[in-house]
Amino acid sequence: MKQYITLTIDGAQVRAVKGTSVLDAAIEYGICIPHLCHVPNLSDIGACRLCIVEHFKDGRSKVTTSCTLNVQEGMVILSNSEKIRKLRRNIAELLVAQAPNSRAIQDVAVRCGVKEVRYPFKNSDCVLCGRCVRVCTEMWGARALGFVGRGKERHVDFPLGVREEFCKHCGSCNMLCPMTITPCKGPMKTGEEYLCGKCESQLMITENRPDSCVWCELGKNFQCARYTQ
Amino acid sequence: MSTATLESILEGRRSQPQQLIEVLQDVQESYGYVPEDAMRSVSKNLGVPLMEVYRIANFYKTFSLKPRGKNVITICMGTACHVRGAHLLLDQVLGQLGLVPGATTEDGQFTVERVNCLGACALGPVVVHNGDYHHHMTPNKLRKLIASIRSTSMEEIAHA
Repeated sequence: MKQYITLTIDGAQVRAVKGTSVLDAAIEYGICIPHLCHVPNLSDIGACRLCIVEHFKDGRSKVTTSCTLNVQEGMVILSNSEKIRKLRRNIAELLVAQAPNSRAIQDVAVRCGVKEVRYPFKNSDCVLCGRCVRVCTEMWGARALGFVGRGKERHVDFPLGVREEFCKHCGSCNMLCPMTITPCKGPMKTGEEYLCGKCESQLMITENRPDSCVWCELGKNFQCARYTQ
Repeated sequence: MSTATLESILEGRRSQPQQLIEVLQDVQESYGYVPEDAMRSVSKNLGVPLMEVYRIANFYKTFSLKPRGKNVITICMGTACHVRGAHLLLDQVLGQLGLVPGATTEDGQFTVERVNCLGACALGPVVVHNGDYHHHMTPNKLRKLIASIRSTSMEEIAHA
């Protein structure tokens, strides 16, 4: 039998199944906590840090990723305080700077209120969100992909650097990768990186109603947990 | 360098995934590096996915994926060694052998590596040659060390 508990997210009483994450509970109630590395039915690793929330406990607040935070009875969560918005904007900026060519990441960034990016563009094609690695390991049990190296050398690679025979070309890794979503029309060539501003309606919604799920296009393309439920 | 074969390394440890790092360490010790075939064989015999073996071999600095030279010269670049001139030693040995850190000379004799700290700061700068610690090194002493290694290896070749 499912056990339910009650917690408070942004002032709203939320009933959630015991054992789920705060992020899942919030999404179910239409509270949009922006997220990138979270995929429904896969384990959460808190890689992108976008889903940070404030967790109040004993009069102190602690900032944690909501995807790795399990619901507890009587929890008090703030997902859209001034502090969180500021931190989240900064994280989104760093993600855009790392991989400016991704439509998905640009959209998430706009959703987080990013108007300009203050960091130098890295033009890498991976933000190490681990979606591909997790889908390959957990959903298919294939382990044809994985993280290799550590520190700044960490990257996703095939074992021994070549695609193994046991990779069945299922394409799940490509499907989930934030880089493979059709990019914006706005140019993102080296040296000309900027937010193209096509998502300004998103930005307006973000400013007016920062905590509501807007059923954004991003979610549809990017398999937001809400769309796949 | 011992010459245990892969068979003997794996003996008694098959189907024990928790033995992975120990097995890789033994492979590293007997081959001087972790060859691709060994990784495949270890993966099959221990029941660990190849990805995991590769990831671990890549993660730890102990494991080298490229063949290493007969003489591995490790130079400590820790803080204490650095202030006492470890970078001079590194420049010296790299210049003399014409290498970059981590590379091996073409004749397979020398590999030069840098390490962040050996924990022997009082003895710094420290240079390790195949496990032998040489303390209070100076560029001059290092030059002599390399010359003596060279002459011994020449003798070995002459004897063989």
